[in-house]
Amino acid sequence: MFSGWNWVAYGFYLLMNVCSLEASGGLVQSCGHIIPESPVLALGSNFTALCILNESCLDFGNIYANQIIWKIKNKVVPKEQYREINRTVSSVTFNDTSSLTTPLTCNILADGQIEQNIYGITVTVGLPPEKPKNLSCIVHQVSKLIYRMICTWDPGRHTFLDTQFRVKYRWPQENFPDCIPKDVNNSCTIPDVHFFVNLEIWVEAANALGKAESDPLVLDPIDIVKPLPPHNLSVSSVLPTVLKLSWVNLISIPVMKLKFNIRYRIVGDTTWMEVPSEDTASPRTSFSVQGLQPYTEYSFSIRCMKEDGVGYWSEWSEEKTGITTEDKPSKGPPMWRIIDASQSQASWTVHLMWKALKPSEANGVILQYELTVRDKSSLSHALEKYNVTSTNLTLQLPNGTYEVTVIAQNRVGASPPSVLLIPASNSKDPVKNLRTLPKYDKLWVGWTPPNSYVLKYVIEWCLVSSSSDCIIEWQIAPGDVQGIDLRGIKPFKCYLITVYPLYADGQGSGQSVKAYLKQDRPSKGPTVQTKKVGKAEAVLTWNHLTVDEQNGFIRNYTILYKTIDGNETVVTVDPSKTEYTLSSLTSDTLYTVRMMASTDNGSRSGPDFTFTTQKFGKGEIEAIVVPVCLAFLLIVLLGVLFCFNKRDLIKKHIWPIVPDPSKSNIAQWSPQVPAKHNISSKDQMYPEGSFTDVSVVEIEADDKKSFSEQDLKPFDLLKKEKSTSEGHSSGIGGSSCMSSPRQSVSDSDEGETTQNTSSTVQYSTVVLNGYRDQTPVQVFSRSESTQPLLDSEERSEDHTGGGDSTPQRQQYFRQNGGQDETSTDRPCFERTKQITHANEGDLVGFVQLQISGQSSQPLGLGMEKNNQEAALSNVLQTNTEGQTVIPETVEENPLIVDEMPKSYLPQTVRQGGYMPQ
Amino acid sequence: MAGADSPSAALRRRDLCARGIRLVGKMRSDVIDLLDTYMERQGLDASANVAAVEGVPPAAVERWDEQTGTQRLLENLAAYRAFRALLAQMLEEQREQLGEADTALGRALAAVLLQVSAFAYHLEELLRLESRSPPSEEGDGPPPQPRLSLFEQKLRGLGVLRELAQWALRSARDLRQLAKPGPGTGSAPSLAESP
Repeated sequence: MFSGWNWVAYGFYLLMNVCSLEASGGLVQSCGHIIPESPVLALGSNFTALCILNESCLDFGNIYANQIIWKIKNKVVPKEQYREINRTVSSVTFNDTSSLTTPLTCNILADGQIEQNIYGITVTVGLPPEKPKNLSCIVHQVSKLIYRMICTWDPGRHTFLDTQFRVKYRWPQENFPDCIPKDVNNSCTIPDVHFFVNLEIWVEAANALGKAESDPLVLDPIDIVKPLPPHNLSVSSVLPTVLKLSWVNLISIPVMKLKFNIRYRIVGDTTWMEVPSEDTASPRTSFSVQGLQPYTEYSFSIRCMKEDGVGYWSEWSEEKTGITTEDKPSKGPPMWRIIDASQSQASWTVHLMWKALKPSEANGVILQYELTVRDKSSLSHALEKYNVTSTNLTLQLPNGTYEVTVIAQNRVGASPPSVLLIPASNSKDPVKNLRTLPKYDKLWVGWTPPNSYVLKYVIEWCLVSSSSDCIIEWQIAPGDVQGIDLRGIKPFKCYLITVYPLYADGQGSGQSVKAYLKQDRPSKGPTVQTKKVGKAEAVLTWNHLTVDEQNGFIRNYTILYKTIDGNETVVTVDPSKTEYTLSSLTSDTLYTVRMMASTDNGSRSGPDFTFTTQKFGKGEIEAIVVPVCLAFLLIVLLGVLFCFNKRDLIKKHIWPIVPDPSKSNIAQWSPQVPAKHNISSKDQMYPEGSFTDVSVVEIEADDKKSFSEQDLKPFDLLKKEKSTSEGHSSGIGGSSCMSSPRQSVSDSDEGETTQNTSSTVQYSTVVLNGYRDQTPVQVFSRSESTQPLLDSEERSEDHTGGGDSTPQRQQYFRQNGGQDETSTDRPCFERTKQITHANEGDLVGFVQLQISGQSSQPLGLGMEKNNQEAALSNVLQTNTEGQTVIPETVEENPLIVDEMPKSYLPQTVRQGGYMPQ
Repeated sequence: MAGADSPSAALRRRDLCARGIRLVGKMRSDVIDLLDTYMERQGLDASANVAAVEGVPPAAVERWDEQTGTQRLLENLAAYRAFRALLAQMLEEQREQLGEADTALGRALAAVLLQVSAFAYHLEELLRLESRSPPSEEGDGPPPQPRLSLFEQKLRGLGVLRELAQWALRSARDLRQLAKPGPGTGSAPSLAESP
């Protein structure tokens, strides 16, 4: 505890000492100081500082030099750089001042605990000034009497210190005040200088580290004067080619004798011309410029310098202009003509045109042109004069040779005449080898002259465009040249250039050439399309690009075509062509084709065009179709012949002859017909051919032997015939429903009785055939017309019917009758079908078998508990397999089945034909 | 004239003469301009009658062409030393009278004063080339002037400038004469300078 208080008290004491316990007059006394105080050091030099502690501090605070810590900008200097001189002095040494930063402080570490600052200094590091170099001075004339001298120099390296520069100058016998630059360190302006005495000038640079002086410059300021240019320049006209300049010099001759430069140019030109310097090398205030162009405005400017050439030229004076007076035109206007001979054979329309003279040739204002037209083809040499102010004249002249003269007149006089000979025909030699060559913005036209002497050449040119007429421009060239430059030629435009040689006695015919100053690629490509497309070739057509679109000479066309997934094929085509045939194409293929026009400077493609080659070539379709047609015709012909040969058979199968019941002869059905059991031939059996077809049903009889073989013989014929049409018969087997099986059975039951009953008409003959080889019992042939017989049949049935079967049949017929009442016209098959549906629900123990024409499947088997019926069913199934027999109904009564002949002969009836009621 | 024998001395003499001629030419031109300004500012005109300025040798002398070069130089030097003192006095008086307001006149006077001083230096150099040390300036200057009235100061100033213009003309002729190749001075070409 005691120790802690002790330290606090000691620290407080030290602080009070360091921070000046003793204050005297506001000044603070510290415990030490550093020497040197705020030094300025040379960069790179070494530096040692001393920190000296006050004795008073030693006594109170036990502070000694070995406790001193040096810092530069709060960074402790390594102890190696310290040196304890004695108990109150510590030094620090820096080998290179470039590592010094400010401030440098001396601090004390009291008892190794508390660091206190004793003193600090600011260290400035820099460089001494270098010797100023390249001192030069120039005396500017400010006004007539005032001259200022500006001296400049190279101040040398940057010193990092405040460095003063001053220009010192003196006469040998007199010093002048120094010139101190303002804001800069490399120039100074001495406001007043005096000439003709040598002045010694030098520059002194000084800073905290030193002083340096430049080499002295000894000169007479008069030798470095840049005078003001002459002023009040004026220009006056003297002659058409002379202008006199006058001016005032701002330097008097006693001070400086001057020489001059005079420059001039035509107003509007950019190029200056200069009066020879030797003409103006002496002092003067005026000068006459000669060799000027008449009636031309010139601009003049003048400058001056010391006559001996020592010093500087002044600036150029302000420009002054003057116009020379007029003179008569120096040459006649160039003239040319365009002859239009299209209107009449006997006369021409001559468009005379001449160019306005250049200002340098007109020498004034051209007031008018005087034209003289002399007819040289007539003996009288008639003369016509025209005074015009324009530069063209159109005359109607008879065909002939004329000499046209034009003279330009201004206020002073007339020009020499220009003569143009218009011969009756241009029959002289033309120029040869006409050619062009672009030269920057000009188009050079060259030619090889003809053998004869040429006075001059006329070069015509016009811009060829599809949108405007060819407006002719022209130019005349002397006869001794072989080429000229055409100006004003637009790039990428086609020009038609024609050169005419003019002879003393006539004209040569013109030679033309087309040329471009500069070519570009075409502005668009040709649009290609097909003219004709074949299987392996396509004919492409296109139109030439217009002149405005070409932008140059079309060197070639390039056709590029390809399939969708194929490589592109390139074909180069002559530029004169507008059609090309692509060959070796793949048939039935989509092709994309485009066309490119190329000039010397590039190409441009037109739009894509697609086409598809044909699948067949020319004649291929014909080669296929014609044989096919012929073959078809042959087949048709053969078919017709076949059908013709087999017409009877076809007729029988397709449209059998249905006997007309109205023509039936009932007598033929008489039972007395003895041939009933003695049918020997078909004709006998079916007289008059009324029967074209008969379906035979073979019904197996239980008792085969009950039929005699004799009885079966006539039935064989029917079998044979039936076998050829069994398909048809089975197809119309449904017709069996039209007749009652009971009827047939009853008929057969009472065959003998009915045969013996004269009042009974035999309705039909049923041929009872035994199963397969068994002898049929009886054969009936039924007429198609049974209407009058039905009653008796019904009646006989009524008689014969009895017992249990009667109500069933009645039920059946009632059903039939009922159906017939509602749909008498309905086909038999449909009706049977309806019945079948009814039987399914209503009829019990009644079996109705329906067999469709092509089906062998027994339908509607509703019989119960009857073996015989099952046996019958088996028989029926067996028969149906042969597709010959279709039993319609089977009686439930086994007795009937046993006793009655098991045969039934349904008629062959066409659908829609006979339909029993 | 011993120094005139060496080529460098001859060149130096020629150069000094040439530039001296041009200096006095310019000085005369400036003095004439200054005369106009001075009369305008001081309210004087050309009709002002000015007596000869005391202390200044007269520019016009008899038998001028019989004078030797040294004699010419000495007379010139005496005159220009006097002018230098007079002009310095004029400049001081002008500053007292007009303060710094008329800086143009003061500057012009200072410029002429400088040229007079420069020409005096030329003359001293020429005298040295003539192996004559220039005389000391003690007693060369004008005698102490009694206190003059303001108008008298103006008139005296006008007289100084007029006399200076005269002396400038004469000095040019003297130097041209000195520049001529004379006996013992070699064959230096004459300078065709004219003021």
